Amino acid sequence: MTDESLEFDHASVLAKCARGEHDALHQLYVYEGARLLGVVLRIVKDRGMAEDIVHDACLNIWQRANSFDPAKGSARTWIFSVARHQALNAIRYRDREITFDSNDPTDIDLDEHFQHSSVVEDAFDWQTGQRMDDCLHQLETERRNCVLHAYVDGLSHAEISAHTGAPLGTVKAWIKRSLLRLRECMA
Amino acid sequence: MTGPLDQDDYALAGEYVLGTLSLAQRKAVEARLKHEPELLRAVMAWEERFVPYTALTQPVRPSDSLWPRIERSLNALHDSQSASVTTPPRRRWVTQLPFWQGAAGIGMAAALVMGVMLSQVSTAPTTPEYMVVLLAPQSQSAGWVVQASNQQQIELIPLGTFEVPDGKALEFWTKADEWQAPVSLGLVEPGQPIRLRLDELPPLQDNQLFELTLEDDTGSPTGLPTGPIQFIGRAVEI
Repeated sequence: MTDESLEFDHASVLAKCARGEHDALHQLYVYEGARLLGVVLRIVKDRGMAEDIVHDACLNIWQRANSFDPAKGSARTWIFSVARHQALNAIRYRDREITFDSNDPTDIDLDEHFQHSSVVEDAFDWQTGQRMDDCLHQLETERRNCVLHAYVDGLSHAEISAHTGAPLGTVKAWIKRSLLRLRECMA
Repeated sequence: MTGPLDQDDYALAGEYVLGTLSLAQRKAVEARLKHEPELLRAVMAWEERFVPYTALTQPVRPSDSLWPRIERSLNALHDSQSASVTTPPRRRWVTQLPFWQGAAGIGMAAALVMGVMLSQVSTAPTTPEYMVVLLAPQSQSAGWVVQASNQQQIELIPLGTFEVPDGKALEFWTKADEWQAPVSLGLVEPGQPIRLRLDELPPLQDNQLFELTLEDDTGSPTGLPTGPIQFIGRAVEI
């Protein structure tokens, strides 16, 4: 995380998009295009599909720019969420018949205290200098890994389970508990 | 819908942002976000908390053809939008509502447009005692007005034209609050006013429901409304 993002006025660019100024979308693309593609590619893991999604996300940002309300959140967050959710919907759609995502409530009642046999190491060099770092730091390493595998890699519960070796129900319980702890910590 | 969220919904909002939900679960959350501001606020809070971690991914330089492609789509979008201004909106059939559901809300909306409607019918020779504005359930646009100069006689007046598909007809129904089921007042011609006597029915009363449904051209086969509601409203005493 650098200060670069502070130099670029995302909110005013969105306001210009809302007024129909094509140049504003181009400025945004020049400034954030590579980062957006990086985020999307990490989730969908297919270059062609990732570019399609960035294309769709740019049109989406253009069309929905007038619904962005700077009083309710940051423009940069809004822009990245549009692209991320587009990517997430696309992979969940693509994998809807492959990914088994049971809603069986007994899944989540499994023991939350599953332990790996060996010491778990951080899967991410995750410190960004934000306040959230302290809260993530308070989570056990394996749980922090689950949360970041979901957010950064776009992995489903089942994929995280396969990736980490923790049972599916454990992964679900860990993520839910971690979110509630993060929220408490950030409050 | 606007009350404080419980823990499950906070976690659900977080899982939506993390991305762990299945497609069906994601769509369910997205549908709720449209009318649950507390859930939306929770989602946005999670977005703000997690967005710094987008920096954990390496930027990837897009191929040179991506921006020109976006620009072409932008121009196409612009062209189609300016074209659509001159094209009349397509008539969309409303989907069938459970029969009497939503009628109360529509009655409210009818009451709100009353002021407008009253000015249009003030040239009527007799002052109606009751009035009903029939609205299209989805667009909430007024399609017909029912005027009752007394409790036994009503007039259904079209406010515009309405296309009925081949083999179909509009059937007119009414139901007072305590009636068990609606009663058919017969088929009506789109765009044609019709005067009806309600001699065989109890006197017209406040809040009585009126509606037009789309039925087979010989009328509902069951004697009860079977087709989608096209227009609906409640009687208001004036």
